[in-house]
Amino acid sequence: MSSEPIISLQNVTKRVGRKTIIDDLTFDVPQGEIFGFLGPNGAGKTTTIRMIVGLMSITKGQILIKGKNIKTDFEQAIRHVGAIVENPEMYKYLSGYHNLVHYARMVPGVTKERIDEVVSLVKLENRIHEKVRKYSLGMRQRLGVAQALLHRPSLLILDEPTNGLDPEGIRELRDYLRFLTRTEGITVVVSSHLLSEMELMCDRVAIIQRGKLIDLKPVQYFTHGSDTFQTYQFEVQMPEQAIAIIRRIEGIQELSISEDGLLEVTTEREQVPAILELLVQNQIRVYGVQKVRRSLEDQFLELTGGGQIG
Amino acid sequence: MVNLLLNENMKIYRRMRTWILVGLMAAFVILGNFVMWHENKSAQGDGWRTELMQEKERWTEQLKKSNLDEGLRTYYTERIPVIDYHLEHNIRSPQGTMWNGINESASLGILITLLTIIIAGDIIAAEFSTGTIKLLLIRPSSRIKILLSKYLAMLLFSMVLLLTLFVISFLLNGILFGFKYMDLPLLHFTGGQVVEQNMILHLWKTYLLNGISTVMYITIAFMISSAFRSSAMAIGFSIGIVFAGNILLEALQRYEWSKYLLFANTDLTQYMEGRPFHDGMTLSFSIGVLAVYFLLFNLVSWLMFTRRDVAG
Ligand SMILES: Nc1ncnc2c1ncn2[C@@H]1O[C@H](COP(=O)(O)OP(=O)(O)O)[C@@H](O)[C@H]1O
Ligand SMILES: [Mg+2]
Repeated sequence: MSSEPIISLQNVTKRVGRKTIIDDLTFDVPQGEIFGFLGPNGAGKTTTIRMIVGLMSITKGQILIKGKNIKTDFEQAIRHVGAIVENPEMYKYLSGYHNLVHYARMVPGVTKERIDEVVSLVKLENRIHEKVRKYSLGMRQRLGVAQALLHRPSLLILDEPTNGLDPEGIRELRDYLRFLTRTEGITVVVSSHLLSEMELMCDRVAIIQRGKLIDLKPVQYFTHGSDTFQTYQFEVQMPEQAIAIIRRIEGIQELSISEDGLLEVTTEREQVPAILELLVQNQIRVYGVQKVRRSLEDQFLELTGGGQIG
Repeated sequence: MVNLLLNENMKIYRRMRTWILVGLMAAFVILGNFVMWHENKSAQGDGWRTELMQEKERWTEQLKKSNLDEGLRTYYTERIPVIDYHLEHNIRSPQGTMWNGINESASLGILITLLTIIIAGDIIAAEFSTGTIKLLLIRPSSRIKILLSKYLAMLLFSMVLLLTLFVISFLLNGILFGFKYMDLPLLHFTGGQVVEQNMILHLWKTYLLNGISTVMYITIAFMISSAFRSSAMAIGFSIGIVFAGNILLEALQRYEWSKYLLFANTDLTQYMEGRPFHDGMTLSFSIGVLAVYFLLFNLVSWLMFTRRDVAG
């Protein structure tokens, strides 16, 4: 495996007028990974992607794709990239096929066979000669993926690819991206504001908010929390009294009552029997205990302080 | 580069709108030619002699008036010797032959201008307004190459239109009047005397000079197109500027500096007819002025297109 990252962002900053949209972003994406780019609407995901593919100028810092500078060595750098930026907008008055011919002509070495191959890959064989005007959103998405894969890129960038897809379509996309990384060693960067989807799709996730990188970790860290402390929910008779009692125990990190009246305790696993014992001793009835699996969503809200729109 | 040009052509010719516009243009040309043919019926065959003699009489009458417009006076005084030449040398007038319609059709070049402005005004702005620019610019082709391919596609398109105009008017007039008098000369009053000119050569010159002004109009529309996000605005502005510019020109004619204005120089046929916008303006002067504007406009298009952030 090559050690050179596919994309390398180095202190990337974007200012428009006085407004700083992207603030000193630095991270690498290694080869073969599905990399998630996560943030609420307006966080700057699309802007970052536009800079990566050379649609927008970079105010400060630099972006390298396979070691080639996107600004000074554009044609060499972009050669390895297939992308959809926001919606896959195609020429509506052309057929799906002619749209692909259009993009195929722009990269040397894309044959007619390759076009057919990509068409069947995205399962558009039956409708490919119809005008794009008649396509549904899902079909346009698939045509978008087809144009991005035409020239066998080593890096695929998809900006909010799940927008407008039904759950079935999202699952298909996920499986498909996995397939691509496994079989062709493609690196995939997907952005999303839908955290639950990232959770299942990505290897690593970067979270950005208001143009700043606030966290970057393998996805398991977000979903399972740290190894020692976990959150448990106790369904008890009198939660307020229970809190007063449990507070006496040492090694409790957090203690609260959830919206639906459950007692939430963040603590080490070994403390759970002690808590139960104490509750029973104090005549508080316990109806159930369960471990809370923290979703990326919760983590994300925590990190971004409620996830206000940036 | 060839592939980029093929792409731009595909986007022009595989689109219904283009053919509707071309169809409209063809319909105009055909209709105009039918009207001319109808009016010219009496001059067919040997009728041309009577027509010319009547015309001469009318102008002689007009010239007796003292309050006659200066422009008309020159036109009539130059026209009469031409009529005499026709009659004396037994050279029939183009009236009542296919040449009349063909020559007149060349002046329908305004339709071509309009059409090219519409397509050129749209060619860049539409990529932005529909969002397709985002997929177009993330390929291993520099922006300058993409811009150039669009420009070349527009030049090609205007040539196709000029050719269509020529072919339609030639065939239609040939059918209506008969393919006769092929080697008829065109009479022209220059330098105090009547000269015979080759009809085909004259036509080629007209088309060539029309072609140059079309290139200028493409360049303007192109520049405007690269500045706008909305294609409707770009087309509207391009047409507006061209027509307002030409109208404004009339008002500014009394100022000496108006000869440096773009629109004072775009119509180069003014030199063929010997009626320049300002006395002392020459064909090479106009071509020089046009060249400066040409470079300026293309520089602006280039700067705008290559520097621009593709956002929103
Ligand atoms: N051309 C621009 N000029 C000024 N502000 C912009 C421009 N483009 C985007 N923005 C702002 O930058 C921020 C990030 O936008 P964007 O990258 O589209 O976010 P995301 O894709 O994460 O939803 C937003 O606050 C947006 O208003
Ligand atoms: Mg976005």
